[in-house]
Formats: sequence, C-alpha cells, structure tokens
Amino acid sequence: MKLLAVIETSAPLSSLYHIMPSFPWFGMDIGGTLVKLVYFEPKDITAEEEQEEVENLKSIRRYLTSNTAYGKTGIRDVHLELQDLTLCGRTGNLHFIRFPTHDLPAFLQMGRNKHFSSLHTTLCATGGGAYKFESDFRTMADLQLHKLDELDCLIRGVLYIDSVVSSGPSECYYFENPTDPDRCIQKPYTLENPYPLLLVNIGSGVSILAVYSETNYKRVTGTSLGGGTFLGLCCLLTGCSTFEEALEMASQGESTRVDKLVRDIYGGNYERFGLPGWAVASSFGNMMSKDKRESVSKEDLARATLVTITNNIGSITRMCALNENIERVVFVGNFLRVNTLSMKLLAYAMDYWSKGQLKALFLQHEGYFGAVGALLELLHPA
Amino acid sequence: MAFKGHQREDENIDEELTPTKQPRNEPDNEAAAPAGRDASERRSSNSTPRHRSDSVKKTRPPFPWFGMDIGGTLVKLVYFEPKDITAEEEQEEVENLKSIRRYLTSNTAYGKTGIRDVHLELQDLTLCGRTGNLHFIRFPTHDLPAFLQMGRNKHFSSLHTTLCATGGGAYKFESDFRTMADLQLHKLDELDCLIRGVLYIDSVVSSGPSECYYFENPTDPDRCIQKPYTLENPYPLLLVNIGSGVSILAVYSETNYKRVTGTSLGGGTFLGLCCLLTGCSTFEEALEMASQGESTRVDKLVRDIYGGNYERFGLPGWAVASSFGNMMSKDKRESVSKEDLARATLVTITNNIGSITRMCALNENIERVVFVGNFLRVNTLSMKLLAYAMDYWSKGQLKALFLQHEGYFGAVGALLELLHPA
Repeated sequence: MKLLAVIETSAPLSSLYHIMPSFPWFGMDIGGTLVKLVYFEPKDITAEEEQEEVENLKSIRRYLTSNTAYGKTGIRDVHLELQDLTLCGRTGNLHFIRFPTHDLPAFLQMGRNKHFSSLHTTLCATGGGAYKFESDFRTMADLQLHKLDELDCLIRGVLYIDSVVSSGPSECYYFENPTDPDRCIQKPYTLENPYPLLLVNIGSGVSILAVYSETNYKRVTGTSLGGGTFLGLCCLLTGCSTFEEALEMASQGESTRVDKLVRDIYGGNYERFGLPGWAVASSFGNMMSKDKRESVSKEDLARATLVTITNNIGSITRMCALNENIERVVFVGNFLRVNTLSMKLLAYAMDYWSKGQLKALFLQHEGYFGAVGALLELLHPA
Repeated sequence: MAFKGHQREDENIDEELTPTKQPRNEPDNEAAAPAGRDASERRSSNSTPRHRSDSVKKTRPPFPWFGMDIGGTLVKLVYFEPKDITAEEEQEEVENLKSIRRYLTSNTAYGKTGIRDVHLELQDLTLCGRTGNLHFIRFPTHDLPAFLQMGRNKHFSSLHTTLCATGGGAYKFESDFRTMADLQLHKLDELDCLIRGVLYIDSVVSSGPSECYYFENPTDPDRCIQKPYTLENPYPLLLVNIGSGVSILAVYSETNYKRVTGTSLGGGTFLGLCCLLTGCSTFEEALEMASQGESTRVDKLVRDIYGGNYERFGLPGWAVASSFGNMMSKDKRESVSKEDLARATLVTITNNIGSITRMCALNENIERVVFVGNFLRVNTLSMKLLAYAMDYWSKGQLKALFLQHEGYFGAVGALLELLHPA
C-alpha cells in the first residue's frame, strides 16, 4: 500500500486518520529471564504489496512463521497463536515467541544479519531490558528502541487480548475444585466489567497492581520471591538446569517431608487462630534436622520450593486484595507457564484463606501481555 | 533491694510484708493418692486451689516457679530463683526442690544442648511478693525427651507444682509430660503469653541496657548504634514474632489484640535452607557464614534487569528484583560461595518478613513495629536489615524496635499466668 512510503519519513503523523507504521510489526518485552516477542503476520497482503515488499522483510516473515523453534533456545508457542486478528485495518495472525534474555546477543546478531535496521521500523520494547540493552540494540543491530513502561504495557495487553479472543478456549479462566484431582476443571470466565482488578505479574520477580480502569492503576507492592527464586533455588537444591526440569521434579515430590507443618508443632490444629494442622508453619523447617535432610529426595525439595514460593505470593496477594478491597485477582507471568501445580495452589489458597471471598483467575497468554502492550503502543500510540 | 516500683502484678500488698507466710511444700502432699492429676488439688491443706482464688486471698503457688514455651525449634524456659529464702523456709525445703534450684543456677549449660542466657538474667525482681532472680534457659525441642527424663529423675512431679506451658509443644507433648515425667501441663495460648510477657518485661527492666531499643543509621557500619527506646503508651503496636515461622499481631491494649497474619517463611526456613545449601548444621554456623557472604552475587537486582533504577515505581537499582535469581545460570552458580548463599538466604527471608510487616503496618495504621523471636538472637544482620527496610520503604514513617529478651516472652507470659492467673 502506498501508505508505507509515507511512513518512511517517520514524522509524527498522529494527526492523520488511521496511519499504519511500516511492517514488520513487533512488540518486545525484555524481562529478567525471558524475552517475549509478539509478531503480527499479515495475511491480507495484496499481489501489489507482495511485489513491492523488500526481500529482508519477506525473509523475516518466512523465518518466523515457518519455524516453531529458533536457534537453540527460541520457541514459538503455536498453541497461543491468534488467527484472523484485525489490527490497524490489517488482518493476520499474531504469533508468540520467547527466548532467554541470556541469548539476546544472538538475537541482535540475527537482526544485524537480516539487516533489520534497513526496514526503518520502530521497535517498541518494554521490560527492564529495553533500558538495559538499549545501547546494545544500537551498536550491535543499529536499532533504535522505543522504550515503554512494563506495567503500562502489561495492563494494556491484558485488556486487549481478553477483548479479542472470541473463539477457542476463553482467554480468562479459573479452577473449580482445585484440590480434588478427579474433579478439578478449568472453567471459562468473562472479564467484562473487570474493574477493580488485582493483577499479579509473576515473572523473575513479582509486581502486584490494583487496576481501577484502563488508564488508572497503581503498583501496590511487589516481592522479590518470584519465578527466578523458584528456578534459582531448584537449580541449587536439585542440580536441575531448566524451568521444565524443575517443574517435572516438583510434580513428583512431597513437600510435607521438607516443610514443618502446624501439626508438627502442635500435634494437630492451632484452633485458636484457625490454622489447620496441614498448613505450613515453617517452610523447609524440617531441613534443620540432619536425619530429615538425608531422607528427602530432590523431588521433595523441588516441590517444597514451588509450594513455598507460590504460597508466599498467594499470602501477599491476599493481603493486598483485602486492603484494596478487591475480590478478583488475575495471575499472569511466565512462572505459571505449564505450571498447573502453582495455579491450582493459588486457586485453592485464595479461596480457602478468604473463605470464598476471593477468586483466582488466569489468562491463557500468561507472560506475553507486556509484549502485546508494546505492539499496541506501536499501532495506537497512547 | 526493693523492686522497681512495679506493683501491678501484686494484688495483695500484705503478702509482701510477710515473706515467710507462704505456702510450703507440705510433706503430706507426697502421700496424696496419684489418682487425680490436677496439681492444684494436691496443694498443702492450708492453701486454696488457684482456680478459686478470686474469692479468697491470693495464694502463691508453691516453688519452683517456671514458665515454659515449647516452640517448633526451641524450648524456652524461665525460672524464678528466690533469693529471700529464710532459714526456716530453707530447712523445710524438700531436697529435690533445693537440688533443682542448685542445678539450674550453678550451671550455664545443661546436657549437650541446654543453655542459660546469663546476660539476660534479671536480678532482684519481685514477683508475687518474693524477691529473686529470673533466669532464661533454652534447649532444642528435639531434646525434650532428655528434659523429661531429667524431670523424672529429679522427681519433679512430687513437687506438685503446676507447670505452665505454652507454644505448640504444650499441646503436642502434653501426653509425653504425663507418661514420662508424671507432670500435668497447664496449657496456654502462645500469643496471649507473648503479649503478656512483652508488656511485663518492658515494665520491669529499669537497670542495665534498656529492654527496648532501635538502630540509628542501620546501614552505616561506622555510625550504626543501638539506642534505647521507651515503650510507654505502646498502643497500638505491631508485634512480629519470628520463630520457626512468623506471626504478626496488632496490639491495641493489654487485652485487645488480633493476629493479623503470618508467614511460613521464618527462622526455620533460614536454618533449613542454609543447612541444605551450605552443609552447615547450626543456627550460629549459618549466621557466621552469612556474615562473610555477599548476597548480590546470588540475587538478581533491579539494576541487573534495568541496567539502573526502575524510576517509574521508585525501585532503586540496588533493590532485589528476584531473590536467588542469578542462580538459574550455571556460570553464576559455580562462582558463588557457600557464604554468599547463606547471606542470600538470610537477606531473602529477612526482607520478605520486612515487606509483609510493612504492608500490615500500613493497613492497620500502626507506626511502631516490635520484632521478637529467636531468629533475631545474635542476628544483628537481620535486625539492621529490618531497621533499614522499615525506615526506607516507609520513607521514615515506620520505626523498627527490638527487645533484649527476644524469644523468651512466651515463657515469661506462661510464668505470669502461673503467678497471676488472668
């Protein structure tokens, strides 16, 4: 389309109706552990447009859409792909790609090799890495980042994705009967009238936001005991090296061998303050005993680490929800990726300790909302 | 020496004038049939069971006077050693009572793991009309069987005293006390005892270092000092008890408090994780290692993610973004020391408690926070971290306070219940 030629001047064109930035359209979230990338693949390219398309743009599109793995560590989450999306007047598929932040140099090298900078697109990026690696993008790949706040992008991304997913599994869901393996099921949840909402983003660390409207939110608090803590401690305690390995071990372990429960101290419940005997009184509390250390397995340790981190987040979340007077809590972030154990724990904890007042909600696109928000900023500058 | 003006606990002043007139351990008690387990029923014939004391002149319970707090990791014992024993009393004193007193006061270590914290001893205290020294003793809950055996060997049960005990272990080991040492426990709630003990000790300590203190300039090693703090008009107060686990209480008056919340990431977590990560086996070893380590090698800081501060939300670059976050990298795992890991464990647990505490203080609208519990014993590192965190993140609104008798308040409260049943 002829509009592409107009955009190349990159002059502010917000006064014109419905201006599109030039392709490719990316949104990037460079986090403490993972880089999340969303890529919009246009499916309505006309023959004329295709002819005018520069080679490296075509090459990028083909590379991204015909692979599901990139290099040694890049992965495209195909099950999360959103098809036939209309964005900024174009129709296409939205792809969700991730790779470790540790491998950003390789990504930059690839950007350089594919002469990405000659496409003169704005690269909207959020997350701490947008700031930390800004100069690396410039020097290694001749790319100028448009830096965005990660929490602004997160909220924008959540609200957008929830509004557009209308076929396939509901974006938002919750767990019914979370502690009953036979009866526990995911059920869809409609996030209409979502405000006020407590949004808990569990990445390397955790941020908890109270969201009152699309544009009105505050960061209530955070905790440094997040996904990075789970993975770091697991690697140290069990010798594993990836998130998936850690989760696999945790699924096989028994945390009650590692933790000191209320019943280990009281011989039963601590009735006076409503603490049931099965509640954890002291996480890893049994590990001060040599005999017990020698009797637990790596799987038990991995499980205890997961339970400890998850319950701590749940506990802090509950306090925030109580104080902010908010009943719905949405948990996002890649700590929950393929981590049904933690999701069910959170679902149960929210319900149990609040006596049914709080509801734990989850979103299919988990850790990608920041990147989506960055993409939206590219297309519809706020 | 006259007691320091704390009359509140003694409701019957005339008791103090006649220190010799107190219930004895009558020889005929020992002949009492063992059928009834209630110690108060086997008191000497001229004394009244305590549960009817509201209608009669208050009677002192017979010696020895103990308060016990059986926690998840440690047993805390307070023992009142009377120093005003008259010649007559001494003569009538049964042998095993004398033996217990001598054993406890002439040793500072008991068996392999029992310790008397001499520096915490309170001298010339007046309790229930008697003057004496209050001793503070601790041993691992793991060694309770040995303690019970000793109680059996010393025929403690023949003294027919009520043993007031609090903490989870008072419930868990109640039957062991009965079967192994023939002792009936009077069980008390640990948080009731904690509060009672804190308020009492703070009111009686008037010589030597102030019971309550805070840190000035907590992060400046050259200028950081402990300063005394007066806990008059203490309410409302946030009391954070850091034992194996953590309880946070909002205290509005002596008798009005609530347990706001708790966390399972407490002293037991610190010790358990340290043992696993470093191979150490005691709390003191773990602290020693932590004092030598650098947690910033283990933790992922804000600056590691942002390259600097996260200005938008006021997070400085040196703040921890992800505890142990660097440990997902093999290279970093191989480059940190055990000391670094111990330090990171301490910092993680301490900061988590600080963060949760701060949220509670904010929500309960309370500005003063008192930290107690044996996680803080000889743990200046954590105390300073808490002091700094409270001050920094609240922009000076919150004050972190500490108490000399740290983990003993539950036991003190139990002793008080023995002497002055609530």
